[in-house]
Amino acid sequence: MVVKRALAIITLLVIGYWLAVGLSQVPFGEDKMLIGQYYLDNVKDQTGAVNAVTAVVVNYRGFDTLGEVTVLFIASTGVGALLWKRKKKRTAKTEGSIVLTTGTRLLFPFVMLFGAYIFIHGHLTPGGGFPGGATVATAFLLLYLAYIAYEIPHRGFEVTEGLAGMGYVTVGLIGLAIGGYFLFDWIWQTWQFGTDNIGRLLSGGFIPIIYTIIGIKVGTELSGIIDNMVKEEVSE
Amino acid sequence: MSALTIIGEVLVLLGTFFYFLSALGLIRMPDVYNRMQTSTKSATLGSLGVLVGVGIWALGTDYGSIAWLTKTIVIAVFLLLTNPISAHALIRAAYKSGIPLWEGSVVDKYKEHLEAEAKTEEGGEE
Repeated sequence: MVVKRALAIITLLVIGYWLAVGLSQVPFGEDKMLIGQYYLDNVKDQTGAVNAVTAVVVNYRGFDTLGEVTVLFIASTGVGALLWKRKKKRTAKTEGSIVLTTGTRLLFPFVMLFGAYIFIHGHLTPGGGFPGGATVATAFLLLYLAYIAYEIPHRGFEVTEGLAGMGYVTVGLIGLAIGGYFLFDWIWQTWQFGTDNIGRLLSGGFIPIIYTIIGIKVGTELSGIIDNMVKEEVSE
Repeated sequence: MSALTIIGEVLVLLGTFFYFLSALGLIRMPDVYNRMQTSTKSATLGSLGVLVGVGIWALGTDYGSIAWLTKTIVIAVFLLLTNPISAHALIRAAYKSGIPLWEGSVVDKYKEHLEAEAKTEEGGEE
């Protein structure tokens, strides 16, 4: 036991030293940008977004985001498949106290509103679809924790999730039809929508649209995962 | 240095002072319930002071706008609403999982209430 632990600590120290030696060659706080400078110089003209991170994530590297959304979808499906039961119910016994339930009822719309704010303003403020969606899912988690009988409306949620995923691909395919490559920003490049409006809500090309789709998708997906995990099998 | 800057600085100072008291209470108090009592209350007040103070402080500077104050007040109201609820839930969960009161505590009305309730339930079944 002691030998095992000592060996583990020694191995970790060696790996840590090795990484530190490697990182000591990297200068911090110096201008080392090769491609990054291109993004910073052109992000406003090419995408209309003020938030360079979301512009890179959705516009320049939109394919990765599609992959991430797919990963989340697979995770949700995987949890659903692993925890599949013929008949399952929530078996929680104690309702939250009256303070908790009242507080939840009061706070739920505000948390939803804030989540929507985050994913709608992805091109202007920090955040975007994934944090916004996680915030929306937090609101549903709050309901699950405070009430013993609460359940998300499954049919609606699963359909919404699928439709949102299809919406993302559809936006990309429209870009393919108009501009010649997948996830081409047709709203900005072809329509020039919001070109004189940079920094305001109605700008940013298709970033707000895609982030709204992603926000809805992530929110419903994580709520579904929560729902799968809190349920237990009931014998018939 | 305008009056708004000074007010903001004083509020932030007050807030950090209450943060310090809150951390001190966390170390000094004898049991979970007393620790929660000292830490949550003064941390909430400290956060309010710091948040609103930052908003007012920014108003006094030349880059500040009213947006700062609006945002900080929204965050402050949210904290004011959520902090007591979370403290309540934590305390209640602590009591339900059987964490004992400090040995200097003299009265536990909730336990008496629970016992009385259990007794009436037994009486009802008979």
